[in-house]
Amino acid sequence: MQDRGGDLTCCARCGGPGTAARIADRRRYKAAVFSSPYPGLTLWPGAADPAARTEGLGTSAPFPAVVTGTATDVSPHVLVVANAGGEQRFSLPTGAVAWRGKLVPPTIIRAGDQLTVRIPAGRRDVADKIWVGIGRVTGTIVERHGDSLLVDEGATKPPQAVVISPGASSRIQVRFPRLEPGHLVDVIGLRQGATLEALLPATSQPTYRADRMPRLSPVTGLTYGSISGSATWHEPTGLAPAEGVAYPAIDPASGCAEAAASSGPGCASLPYLAVGSMLLVRNECTGRSRLLPVTGCGAVARLFSDRCLTCGTSPRGRVADLTLASFVGLGGDLERGCFNAAIAIGA
Amino acid sequence: MAVAIREIQIPLLALVLLGACAAKLARTVRTRSVNAGLGPTELFPRRLRRLAAIAICCTELALAPALILTAGRFGSHERGDAVRLATAVLFLIALCGLVELREHRPDLGCGCFGDLSVKPVGIRSIARAGLLAVAALVTIGLPPLHLPPPGARAATGLGIMVGELLLLALLSPEAGEALMRLGYTEPCELREFTAKRALTALHRSRLWRKQSALVTGEPADMWRELCWWYLVYPASGQAPGTSLVFAVQVKQHRPAIRSALAGPEPPSWPGQPVPDAGEVAPVMRSAAF
Repeated sequence: MQDRGGDLTCCARCGGPGTAARIADRRRYKAAVFSSPYPGLTLWPGAADPAARTEGLGTSAPFPAVVTGTATDVSPHVLVVANAGGEQRFSLPTGAVAWRGKLVPPTIIRAGDQLTVRIPAGRRDVADKIWVGIGRVTGTIVERHGDSLLVDEGATKPPQAVVISPGASSRIQVRFPRLEPGHLVDVIGLRQGATLEALLPATSQPTYRADRMPRLSPVTGLTYGSISGSATWHEPTGLAPAEGVAYPAIDPASGCAEAAASSGPGCASLPYLAVGSMLLVRNECTGRSRLLPVTGCGAVARLFSDRCLTCGTSPRGRVADLTLASFVGLGGDLERGCFNAAIAIGA
Repeated sequence: MAVAIREIQIPLLALVLLGACAAKLARTVRTRSVNAGLGPTELFPRRLRRLAAIAICCTELALAPALILTAGRFGSHERGDAVRLATAVLFLIALCGLVELREHRPDLGCGCFGDLSVKPVGIRSIARAGLLAVAALVTIGLPPLHLPPPGARAATGLGIMVGELLLLALLSPEAGEALMRLGYTEPCELREFTAKRALTALHRSRLWRKQSALVTGEPADMWRELCWWYLVYPASGQAPGTSLVFAVQVKQHRPAIRSALAGPEPPSWPGQPVPDAGEVAPVMRSAAF
């Protein structure tokens, strides 16, 4: 995650450039002190599974892979995507779909579009779903002028500009009736440069203001089992690792300044973890699980005590805010915004 | 027996209404918002939500004492029945509201007992509203109540009340939440424990005094994970890249403290993938307090 203005101490100990090196260093230090990565804990069975571990670290690909980049060439059966790693060519099977505010045929993609391409498990050059210019803004509204919002996503991200699309206004207002400063918002839409054109509500608006959160009962299952809740996704910043989890309970005493502005400690009361901790995340809707590193603070995720309604109602609010790639890799549909998940300490 | 069961419903309904109102008021005071967290009000148009929330609280607050006052000889037969009918109607409306809420906003709690009603509306909450509506309906037509004389009749009444309270507790997701909060002791992984306290505990330890000669400067990294604080110092007089790592337990008194020298090599926990063959395990020396 990026520092805002460079005047914050964060993220010397949070997600950001160098996170991968920090994760490796911390694992090395812990291994020096303890013979087990989590002293005194009995790990969730899946956490000790070497297959899950290897897959989670991205060294094999039985899960869908994700490629992001810019479309350079599109034909009815072939898509070429360019990114920092070069150009990649994907064939488009008959059932392939694209999302551009709604599900459309991939032929709608134009050269220059920003794409998130899902590659089915076990394939390397086939795209089965493509999201065109998808973006998400989650945070506290700080300003509103008509249909334009300015949203605070936390102290280490710049404020996000959101324009509510006229065609989606009523749909969003049904789920977010209080589009006023101080209230929370979470919308999915199309990126138009630095602005998000909001098309879909990603959740229902919590009934409280961001600075008046309810007290929820603490959650302790992480140390002896798993914790179920909602897993969401956030947009990559370009500097943070592509795979990982922003966890809502990074100990503030660790020096992390990623607290969301104008908010209290948050309503998620989860066990404290650090950047570098490993979490086994399971998508309860698809049954897929992956071991992922905690790469940052889920500063905004901890403000939401909403429920995810994908494949049933999640028993509690957000327990993991996944990177876009990890979310898709676990079988999530970006336009749905969340899936029901279980998290456990991983080794 | 049937009369005793009907009679006991009146104080019981008053108790439930008072409890619900008190919990809602407590939440209102804490959040400084009347309708925060009141699930069923979300079914109303936005401009009416605040009004609906106030109406629910006021109705509960009015009906609870009215049930008691009209149950004895102060209340006329008609007045008593009117209050009981109003109570039954309130719970029937609540029942319909909960069914609607479950259908259209399954993510919201019912807000029936303020902060304690955070779980999404389930069958139990709906069944409870139905039971309370039936309880209110069966009281209609009762003659004025009198305190039973000490003896078998009083014991029967008390037993019925306890039994029904237990049944209500079983139907209330809030009961488990309340019990958990009452008997809750914060486990170490959730306990606040500042870095300063961890450093103080470390500096007071025998291990620190023994190994302080190796420590140079301030911690290069420190972080908290579950029940441990980790503090990493560059180690002097060792191979380049070697660090002295301390682990301080999150514990009020006499926290366990461990230390080790960590080399620059990657970790080698049992079963952990090792990137390159032939690497030396990073643990050179470790000690426990």
